[in-house]
Amino acid sequence: MVRLRRIVLDILKPHEPKLVPFTEQLTEPEEIRGVTAKLVDIEENVRRIRVTVEGEDIDMETLEEHIMDLSGSIHSIDEVSCGETIVDDPWLPN
Amino acid sequence: MNPRERLAGLRRVLGKEDVRSLARRYFVANGFDGTLTSIGVVLGAYMGGSVDNGLAIIGIGLGAAIGLGTSGIWSVWEIERAETSRELLQLEAAMMTDLEDTQLTRDFRSEQIVLALAAATGPVIGVLVTLFPLLFEGVFLSLFQAVLLSIAFGVLLLGGVGAYMGSISKQRWYVAAARMGLAGIVVAIITVFLPG
Repeated sequence: MVRLRRIVLDILKPHEPKLVPFTEQLTEPEEIRGVTAKLVDIEENVRRIRVTVEGEDIDMETLEEHIMDLSGSIHSIDEVSCGETIVDDPWLPN
Repeated sequence: MNPRERLAGLRRVLGKEDVRSLARRYFVANGFDGTLTSIGVVLGAYMGGSVDNGLAIIGIGLGAAIGLGTSGIWSVWEIERAETSRELLQLEAAMMTDLEDTQLTRDFRSEQIVLALAAATGPVIGVLVTLFPLLFEGVFLSLFQAVLLSIAFGVLLLGGVGAYMGSISKQRWYVAAARMGLAGIVVAIITVFLPG
């Protein structure tokens, strides 16, 4: 089974929970090593965030359920890294 | 949801400043109602002359506490239910998704519980504190003394709440205390001069 190491998601969420508790709670599963969330856009009732999740073997189903439980909705999966090591995108500007 | 999750949810909700502020408002506003009602009930019962012991006045006061407590819990529960349902509908429309059984809806429910309890405990505490001296009627207080002490307890409680509100709003606490306490004295004076 291929291990999912890093995933970048575009998420729409209400203003609550706020970004810090939202990100903190995403790190709760054991296999998650770290999460970075970045605010992309704020609207009247919702905000769009970009979330990068890194771990040893991320369970995508659990992650999706967790995000939904935090009232988030995954709009798109923007980047995926699988395998033994994380290979950085060579086209990304340094 | 297990008890640990429920507790975590309650802690999360109590950590929100807007929930604490709203709970404080409900608690103080309804506590004010309860204390003034209690002063009116105690003095009205005494002046009416139909009761001759402290326990009878306590019985009447407890009836008021039950009424005001139930009113607080019931009305705030319904108000908050309507408000959170409206907010949820707006959010679901904005997100184009169903938010049923998410942390958000569970937190909304916890907020409802916290606010309804704050609205109910305010008047009950107000009434109980005011009635407290009447327990000692016939022990070491006459009915008249117990009634006077009861009004004093009510006024002091109002003053204490006023002082607290004054301190959190960075006003002169003694002015806020006097303003709140004055309401109790006004109720007492009006009750004394009521016909009959």
